[in-house]
Amino acid sequence: MKNKIIYLFTLIALTAGLSTLPSCQSGSGNKTAYHTLIVTGQNNHSWQESTPILKQILENSGLFSVDVAQTPKTGENMSQFKPDFSQYDVVVLDYVGDPWPEETRTAFEQYVSGGGGVVVYHAADNAFRNWVAYNQMIGIGGWGNRNESDGPYIRWKDGKTVRINEPGPTGNHGPQRAFQVTIREPEHPITKGLPKIWLHAKDELYQQLRGPAENLTVLATAYADTAKGGTGGNEPVLMTIRYGKGRIFHTTLGHVMGKGPFPAVECVGFIVTLQRGAEWAASGKVTQEIPDDFPQFNVTSRWPLFRPMNLDEILDQLREYKPGDNRMPEQDLTNLLRGQYNAGTFDEIEDQLLKFIIGNGSAAGKNYVCRELSLYGSENALPALHKLMTKEPDVAEMARFAYERISGEYSN
Amino acid sequence: MDHSNKVNRRKFFRQLAGATGAAIALPYIIPASALGKEGATAPSDRIVMGVIGAGSMGTGDMRTFMGKPEVQMVAACDVDKSHREKAKSIIDANYEKSDARIYNDYREFLTNEKLDAVILALPDQWHGIIYIACANAGLDIYGQKPLARTIWEGQQIVDAVQKNNIVWQTGSWQRSVAQFHHAAELVINNRIGKVTHVEVGLPNGTPSQVHNPVQPVPEGLDWDMWLGPAPASPYRGVCHWNWRWILDYSGGQLTDWAGHHIDIAHWGLGLDRTGPVEIEGKGVYPREGLYDVPVEYFITSRYATGVEMTIANARRLEHGMGVCWYGDKGWIHVNRSGIWASDDKILAEKIGDDETKLYYSRDHAQNFLDCIRTRKETITPVDIAHRSISGGLLGEIAMLTGRKLKWDPDKQIFPDDPLANRLLRRPFRSPWKLKGN
Repeated sequence: MKNKIIYLFTLIALTAGLSTLPSCQSGSGNKTAYHTLIVTGQNNHSWQESTPILKQILENSGLFSVDVAQTPKTGENMSQFKPDFSQYDVVVLDYVGDPWPEETRTAFEQYVSGGGGVVVYHAADNAFRNWVAYNQMIGIGGWGNRNESDGPYIRWKDGKTVRINEPGPTGNHGPQRAFQVTIREPEHPITKGLPKIWLHAKDELYQQLRGPAENLTVLATAYADTAKGGTGGNEPVLMTIRYGKGRIFHTTLGHVMGKGPFPAVECVGFIVTLQRGAEWAASGKVTQEIPDDFPQFNVTSRWPLFRPMNLDEILDQLREYKPGDNRMPEQDLTNLLRGQYNAGTFDEIEDQLLKFIIGNGSAAGKNYVCRELSLYGSENALPALHKLMTKEPDVAEMARFAYERISGEYSN
Repeated sequence: MDHSNKVNRRKFFRQLAGATGAAIALPYIIPASALGKEGATAPSDRIVMGVIGAGSMGTGDMRTFMGKPEVQMVAACDVDKSHREKAKSIIDANYEKSDARIYNDYREFLTNEKLDAVILALPDQWHGIIYIACANAGLDIYGQKPLARTIWEGQQIVDAVQKNNIVWQTGSWQRSVAQFHHAAELVINNRIGKVTHVEVGLPNGTPSQVHNPVQPVPEGLDWDMWLGPAPASPYRGVCHWNWRWILDYSGGQLTDWAGHHIDIAHWGLGLDRTGPVEIEGKGVYPREGLYDVPVEYFITSRYATGVEMTIANARRLEHGMGVCWYGDKGWIHVNRSGIWASDDKILAEKIGDDETKLYYSRDHAQNFLDCIRTRKETITPVDIAHRSISGGLLGEIAMLTGRKLKWDPDKQIFPDDPLANRLLRRPFRSPWKLKGN
């Protein structure tokens, strides 16, 4: 299944039309969608992987129609790279590389200062050390020979954002790992309603970023544990910056390198904060609900398809499910069925579940579906369950479990 | 050792209590000549005890009771060889002997041992079957909370314990601690006025998530017997202690702690023999990893008196862990660290002789032993334990269904939600059954 997912995105990457032309609207069909441009084409990361993922994530919210502007390759002539930023509500930066033409830089500055939205994604804060306005937009950045002359370190300490003016390296990270993100501005539209602390899936934790940090608000930080190559400080991971009338959302999260899977961008926390941050950058407000399966303080949560799975996709995974596998499809099925039942639409999908349990899936997958049927199944489920009780020893006990709960006739 | 004398003695106590009323104090019916040297209880008059489930809680309880001179601990039962051998070494060391007997199967333990009382400290999926088997065997029971994994099993345990006239003490020991007793007594005597709302803060979520693969069962662990009536599951390195993070065996911190703080909240409200009439709740369940109990939970219950109870993981409540009753004249908050009130004067209040006095005990184990002799009710009898855990189990059902539920605390059903009623009971894995009373 995993292979299928990777294949799917490779396909999207190939067919996404990485160009300045509007894409063929694979997304929302929403007429009021925010016009969105992802700028990509050079990066010290795998932009060929990350850009289609960002596009999917934004489109999956139903709020954005996404175009992609791809620069020439490193060292090639950049003079004709002139996206018309003014057509867009929000520009997403997935670019680290050669300088843009001056005309393009000026157009971008005018777009942002005039009220445009920007999302700074992960290594985009490594770009353009020498472009003053760009560094004002990203607030803080790293690498590219940045040092104390570029501005202070920004950290969270004693309940507030602090600026630390001291020399030292700029931009680095310990080994990749899952780490906790702590919300520092719980009333900001982007973070309102999120768990105060949530466990982000395996990612790089950027630290020692510095920059002008003007009009910068730290929304969330992560503790960079010294035992794991960290500074021992609370490093900003989600920020907003104002530049003129423009709104910028900066996430340092989302490392994508090499071949997938990429837990950092599958993380529901990354996806949801990116969607909310992009909406805020585009409009100044956030209308999206927070999903029930947002990660919690000690539990990661990923969407391998960058959105919740539908029933067919969940059952596909359960068909191959074995004891010891990640329980994610189980919990997804539970959530989906509860939602369907409480919406009064369980009847419409019960047949699919019954077909599944008498089909050729794994015993563990069938057992889980039987367990769910014990809660939601109708009398229509009894014949299929009875068949399992007599014909499939590996599923018989859980089929009886469901049969007894549905019929109310308990043998013990 | 002649066990039949012990049984006869125990029956004698019971008959005596039944014939003359429970008010007779013990020292008057034990001749002084029966006492051993230096005031210690003579071996023949000791309360003979054993333990089923000899893990950390079981051996802890065992040590507590062995610290009482009137107890003779003689046997331990555990499905893990290392547990039962450790239990034997603890018992033998205590008595400087080597005759403690150990068992893997509780049925052999019950057949072979002639006990007065038993400590039960088992994972929750086993509570129904073993608690009832012990009650039917006529043993007085010190049973660990929560009473049962489901409300239906709890009802069956209550029936069996009551029908067999078993003296039952729940491991809800907070009732035997001064600050909880004081807090509950202040509340029930209206020192904060009419209580409108009570917050019950329980520990947060679960420990770090694990992703263990299927692996060989450790030598000496009878995994099939450990699972017992729970659904079959391959061994994944989670057994002792950490079973409480898996829904097949436990409801997590919510049900682990319901028997402590919901129990105390009910006590102060005078509602410990009933239940809510309406429950709703929202839980956050982990999507990844082996542990599947909620990592966040927030439950609101309403009682027939109009009082509302919020049960949540501590970080989501103003006062955190413990119980905080809010009345129209102030609030009282209590937990294991202390007792607090909106005004310190409330805490200095004395309860007058004409006011409601709550059951007094300052030694939970001793209270059980005293009641074994007097045949009186303990400070945490079985039906109260059932109502304490029901508060948590109803919240679990509300979270699992995602619906606002109406509950009939007398009939113990959801009157208008047949699917929620399915969650009151779990079928057992074959061949396990609850033995009828």
